Amino acid sequence: MRSLSIAVAAAAATLVACGTDQPRPSRPPPGPPAFAVEINQPARLTSVETGEVDALGRPLRVACVTCHSLRAPTALPTSTAELDEFHQGLEFAHGELSCASCHVAGEQRTLRKADGTEVDMRDAMVLCRQCHGQQARDYDHGAHGGMTGHWDLSVGGRVRNHCVDCHDPHVPAFQPMQPAPGPRDRGSSRRTTMGNH
Amino acid sequence: MSGPNRRVALKVVGATLGAGAFAYAGRPVAQWAANLDLDEVLTRHYKELTPEDLAQILRRLEAETQETYGVDVRIEDIPPQDGVSFGYALNLSLCIGCRKCVEACHQENNHDRRTNNSYIRVLEMEQGSFDMEKGTVDYDHTVPAPGKYYMPVQCQQCDDAPCVTVCPVEATWKEKDGIVVVDYNWCIGCRYCEAACPYHARRFNWRAPEIPADEINPDQGYLSNRIRPQGVVEKCTFCLHRTRKGLLPACLEACPTGSRVFGTLLDPKSDIRWVLEHKRVYVLKEELGTRPRFFYFFDK
Amino acid sequence: MAADPTAAVTPPPPPSLPPALSYLRFLRAALVRSFSGSWRFYAWMTILTAIALVGLNAWGHQLNQGMQVTALSDHVSWGLYIANFTFGVGLAAGAVMMVIPAYLYDDHEMHDVVIIGELLAIAAIVVCIGFIIVDMGRPDRLWHIIPGIGRFHWPVSMLTWDVLVLNGYLLINLHIAGYLMYQRYLGKKPRKGWYLPFVFLSIGWAISIHTVTAFLYQGLGGRPFWNSALLAPRFLATAFISGPAFVIVLLHVVRWTGRLTFGDGPIRTLTSIMRVTVLLNLFMLGSELFTALYTGGSHATAIEYLFFGSHGKHALVPYMWTAVALNVTSAVLLYLPRTRTDHRLLLAACGAAFVGIYLEKGMGLIVPGFVPSTLHELVEYTPSVTEWKVTAGIWALGLLVLTVALKVGLAMWTGRVNVRTD
Repeated sequence: MRSLSIAVAAAAATLVACGTDQPRPSRPPPGPPAFAVEINQPARLTSVETGEVDALGRPLRVACVTCHSLRAPTALPTSTAELDEFHQGLEFAHGELSCASCHVAGEQRTLRKADGTEVDMRDAMVLCRQCHGQQARDYDHGAHGGMTGHWDLSVGGRVRNHCVDCHDPHVPAFQPMQPAPGPRDRGSSRRTTMGNH
Repeated sequence: MSGPNRRVALKVVGATLGAGAFAYAGRPVAQWAANLDLDEVLTRHYKELTPEDLAQILRRLEAETQETYGVDVRIEDIPPQDGVSFGYALNLSLCIGCRKCVEACHQENNHDRRTNNSYIRVLEMEQGSFDMEKGTVDYDHTVPAPGKYYMPVQCQQCDDAPCVTVCPVEATWKEKDGIVVVDYNWCIGCRYCEAACPYHARRFNWRAPEIPADEINPDQGYLSNRIRPQGVVEKCTFCLHRTRKGLLPACLEACPTGSRVFGTLLDPKSDIRWVLEHKRVYVLKEELGTRPRFFYFFDK
Repeated sequence: MAADPTAAVTPPPPPSLPPALSYLRFLRAALVRSFSGSWRFYAWMTILTAIALVGLNAWGHQLNQGMQVTALSDHVSWGLYIANFTFGVGLAAGAVMMVIPAYLYDDHEMHDVVIIGELLAIAAIVVCIGFIIVDMGRPDRLWHIIPGIGRFHWPVSMLTWDVLVLNGYLLINLHIAGYLMYQRYLGKKPRKGWYLPFVFLSIGWAISIHTVTAFLYQGLGGRPFWNSALLAPRFLATAFISGPAFVIVLLHVVRWTGRLTFGDGPIRTLTSIMRVTVLLNLFMLGSELFTALYTGGSHATAIEYLFFGSHGKHALVPYMWTAVALNVTSAVLLYLPRTRTDHRLLLAACGAAFVGIYLEKGMGLIVPGFVPSTLHELVEYTPSVTEWKVTAGIWALGLLVLTVALKVGLAMWTGRVNVRTD
């Protein structure tokens, strides 16, 4: 009975207070960009996967310099069949290109454009742009390639994927994957744990 | 004879049995009524709350979350920004149907774990067809499958939203940055909005969500990803607890292909504006006149 | 059940009592009559109460455990409850088929029994409100929809219109029936100015409740199955089948109890109305079928699913064909010459029509609006045990209200119970 009278009193109080919308605080619009858009630097540009894992279970990678700083420059092979040691069994399926289309003999940190201009490995995306203009244009406008961070650069920065994050330059086709689990909601054919009637 | 006496006795027995039946049958309702929290029942509509009311409610909700789920969370009210009007575009040529966005939404927005709920449904569509009749949502094979394309569907944040129109109690409305929100403390659970939405964007809490404590996202918004109560409707809010702080929505961050483009339509230099101006975009079910803020396009 | 010796006597001039006091006596008389009666009355009320309590209990479980105890889903988000609500609105609106002949066409025989229609409308609206409440995820927030206290999204939301017209209809009928009963109880002649305007208002209002209820569905562009201009006319046609069908059965029951004597005129009039409306409904159904099936395409999917099943799913097919079979049967029976004289045939026709419309409007009109879903997923729906329990409970509650209303109402209407006999 007491709770009922409290309810009645509270309801009456609510009734009195009802119906008026409160003004909401305004928040200022975004300012000019103050943070940068960074491009991720994939490990693949400077190291090779060994297929093994270290003591902590992380994939073991070997930096290119480990060998290439010691070895004398050799001519680039004409096909993947000629590759040996670390590069043995490297798959290659990137159009009509050959090793020399991009690589410079003996220079594991340098790439070359079609016109012969040398490009630092960190700027590998410049090479991609030579042929993939549409994708490059989309990329420049955030319409291709994953990203994380802020849409509003006045608040914080953004990190963009590098082409090579998703497209292995030697086998650039996007790799198929197993999707995350599908819906299990009520009525769905995969419904497994629901329902107790 | 003892006619009248027998009748009286019958009536007494009948009344006793009847009262017992009433008490037994009514017990679950009484139990429900006893469990109601008066503060919660009398919580006013979001728009009518003074800053003090709101602060008090936020603290109460945080305490309730701690009590029910055993987690310290921070629930904020984040009003829209001036000069911002959100838009979203999705490149169907890039999308591979991996459901990473679905998964990210599930985690970010504190969805019920048993139902694997998410605000996004990905349709596996047949190449050369826009007919959703031929689409499936529960595919479970390596993607992208040959001959298919993938169309994620989530709230289109319509400018003329049927869900907002039909709500009998104004529990859902459009904010000035274009996001359609739900006041989970005002919704009466009639589900008229679910019937009205042409995009299957709304979800009802058929029971209270179940989430392990260590999986709860503690950064929560009053109008977005706080853990919803049982019996109310919820929907995608473009992750307003993130996007109103300048962050990208969780589904976009999770996308491995960059199919998703998000930003403010009021900034002519934004990515979303570039897409709208340079791609041939379209909206779903344009003929319904809902005027979505979610656009689709193909590269080729 | 003992006959009241004063029943047949012309009421003497009413004693003068202060209005407030006489109204209290009226209410007391009504209350006493609600709880006393023959063993058959007690048995009937006990059965109904038991069913209502089963429903109450099931609803209580639904409140505590959430609506997961229903078979509803985000795909089919309305089901048995809203289907029954819709049917109940039709029943309430259908009762107007007694009011129109009685008052617009001055049918004196109908006038003798018209109170039954008004009392039926009241009970039907109680049923409708019951179904709305059990369909709500948060009935504790019902106050949000009260104009002035909550936030009433009027005139934008059709649901707010429905709240207004249904409650308005309830009030109008409560006023008309209550006023007429009260005046008869006092032994006075009802003053026309006090009820006739409301009677005419109720005629228009009855049409409005079912039109607005149809508009709830009809106005949703995302649901092609409902988004048809034919929906409201079909709703009204079906209302004017189920309403008269129920009333014809009710009139037979009332006659059987001996609480009211009347000629066959009202039954004949209602049968004539049904003869028109059953065909009208079948015609409109055929028109919808033609449009969907001849045109084809994805807009036809719901109808295909409803009548033939789709993608190997056909939960609604038996319901729909049963409905069609019953509707056709009732049409045939209603036109048989023998039905005019054989009341058993007539009752069979009414039973078939009532159940046929119940299935057609319930499972056949509400559920397929959701199948396929807006993303064209085909998720089926079959009501859960809880839903059936709650549904049975609400109908039992409606019958309780109707029984009491008729028992008290007819006793006062006929003057058997009045201020002198009390």
